[in-house]
Amino acid sequence: MSQAFRFLSVPGQAVIICALALLVFSAFPFAWMASTAFKPSHEIFATPPTLWPTTFTLENIERLFAETKFLTYFRNSVTVSLSAVGLTLIFSVPAAYSLTRFRFPGREQIAAVVLFTYMFAPVMIIVPFYILIRFLGLTNTHLGLVLAYTAFCLPFNLWLLRTFFQSIPIDIEQAALVDGANRFQAIIFVVLPLALPGVVATGIFTFILAWNDYIFARVLLSRDELKTLPVGIADLYNASVVDWGMIMAAGLLVLAPVLAVFVFIQKSLVAGWGAGGVKG
Amino acid sequence: MAEDVALRSKALWRFRLPEPVLGLLLVLPAVSLLVALTMYPVLYGVWISLFNKHSFFPEQTFIGLGNYVAILGDAEFWASVQRGAIYAVSTIVLQIVLGVAVAVLLDQRFPGRNILRAIVIFPYIVPTVVAVILWKWLLNSQFGLVNYLIESAGLSNQPISWMGRDWIMTSLILVSVWQFFPFVVIGVLARLQTIPGELYEAATVDGASAVQRFTNVTLPQLKSILFVIVLLRSIWMFTKFDTPWLMIQGGGAETYIRTLPVYTYQRTFAYYEAGLGSAMAVLMFLMLAVGAAIYFRLWRREEEL
Repeated sequence: MSQAFRFLSVPGQAVIICALALLVFSAFPFAWMASTAFKPSHEIFATPPTLWPTTFTLENIERLFAETKFLTYFRNSVTVSLSAVGLTLIFSVPAAYSLTRFRFPGREQIAAVVLFTYMFAPVMIIVPFYILIRFLGLTNTHLGLVLAYTAFCLPFNLWLLRTFFQSIPIDIEQAALVDGANRFQAIIFVVLPLALPGVVATGIFTFILAWNDYIFARVLLSRDELKTLPVGIADLYNASVVDWGMIMAAGLLVLAPVLAVFVFIQKSLVAGWGAGGVKG
Repeated sequence: MAEDVALRSKALWRFRLPEPVLGLLLVLPAVSLLVALTMYPVLYGVWISLFNKHSFFPEQTFIGLGNYVAILGDAEFWASVQRGAIYAVSTIVLQIVLGVAVAVLLDQRFPGRNILRAIVIFPYIVPTVVAVILWKWLLNSQFGLVNYLIESAGLSNQPISWMGRDWIMTSLILVSVWQFFPFVVIGVLARLQTIPGELYEAATVDGASAVQRFTNVTLPQLKSILFVIVLLRSIWMFTKFDTPWLMIQGGGAETYIRTLPVYTYQRTFAYYEAGLGSAMAVLMFLMLAVGAAIYFRLWRREEEL
């Protein structure tokens, strides 16, 4: 430490030390999870614990694929999350465009109500929501779950997309119309490309919320082959004596898509923070 | 010529449908969905809170405010409110303190800063189930790394039972703070970057120490963003269900972290009392509304001073 950082002032060294402590606090749990996932079981319970697997093994992942329905859960999660992204965008893009480009009675009230519904936490609406979904005959379907995520993400997505549409000058659209485009073409070829970062950001927020959700999936689904990852993993954990190597391998695989979208999201997470980014 | 263009564009703007109608048509699907799947369930929840209603069978009898009377006389309800308040307040305080400190740190210049910013945010977007299971492994009383480190450091000669009755609330708070403090970091860091450097230079010229610069320059600038952060985090921590619920699984210490959302869930889906569960959700909402009103008032008084 002292040799390498001698050129730094005392406060500079303090910053580096704090930064390293922070790095350990935030990242080490994940490193430990990865390390456990690739250790054979005798090494997982060894004292003293090894930081890095001395024998690197894929047997935990193999066992996860062979003995559990992990791949089914994974496929369910992908289907449900992507459908929720698609459906939310279909509902929110036209609405957000309308709220910024058209004048009609009640426009401000709609925007206010949208912001208000954002305050509801899942646990506060889950009981009547469950009864409603059961009334519609949609329990134990992925459609019910997709509807839940769409409704739940819609307020934030509308709010975020609205700020993006507001930032696009109306003159650009008018110029396209002058050049002979009709309104629909102007939206598809001029406005949407400019609003693309906002559309991508809202899509990613929805994806993460749907991918991570536990409570809606827990309540709306009971059939094992329909479960999404969070519920599937929680049940795996509760089922019997905990197989730590396998559970850590499962956790690692669940994080892979999150990590992939995270590379995109970091900047927009900061930019779109205002209303809470991902709710949680 | 210019006027010509303006006129032409105006003509082109005219669509076959009148503008307000088209606008409403575009907004209608989203609004209907919100009304059907959010507003309606909320109002329906208030309605069924007046019934003795089973969660699965269609039978229901109107009992007026009976559910509310039953809840207010239920000692476990008040205990869960108390546990929820302890959980919410302690996690919020720790998140704010840690979040502001980390944001100030990440605002300094040092090598690897951008990567560290990304790493710090990451726990926030991880599924709660992964965060909880990960920490249960780290805190495992027999094989957990945390106990190993504590024992090798000689801080304790017997393993600490992190999921046992004495420690489970502490463990829950630790996991929650770890998972949610990045939200504070994101908000505060965004605001810190907009504080003009001249303010700090002027304060330094006036002889202010680093601590004085923080309390006299940084904190006042952060006030408005902290107002929003505290509000949102309070709502979310007070209604947080999945973290405490998943912490409870597989352990015997469940009653020690049974917060109000967990208790509401149990009454509805373990005891099948949908009417009672709805009444508890309504009470939760009322408590939040009262809390928010007090918070706004306190804030306004602060502004006037």
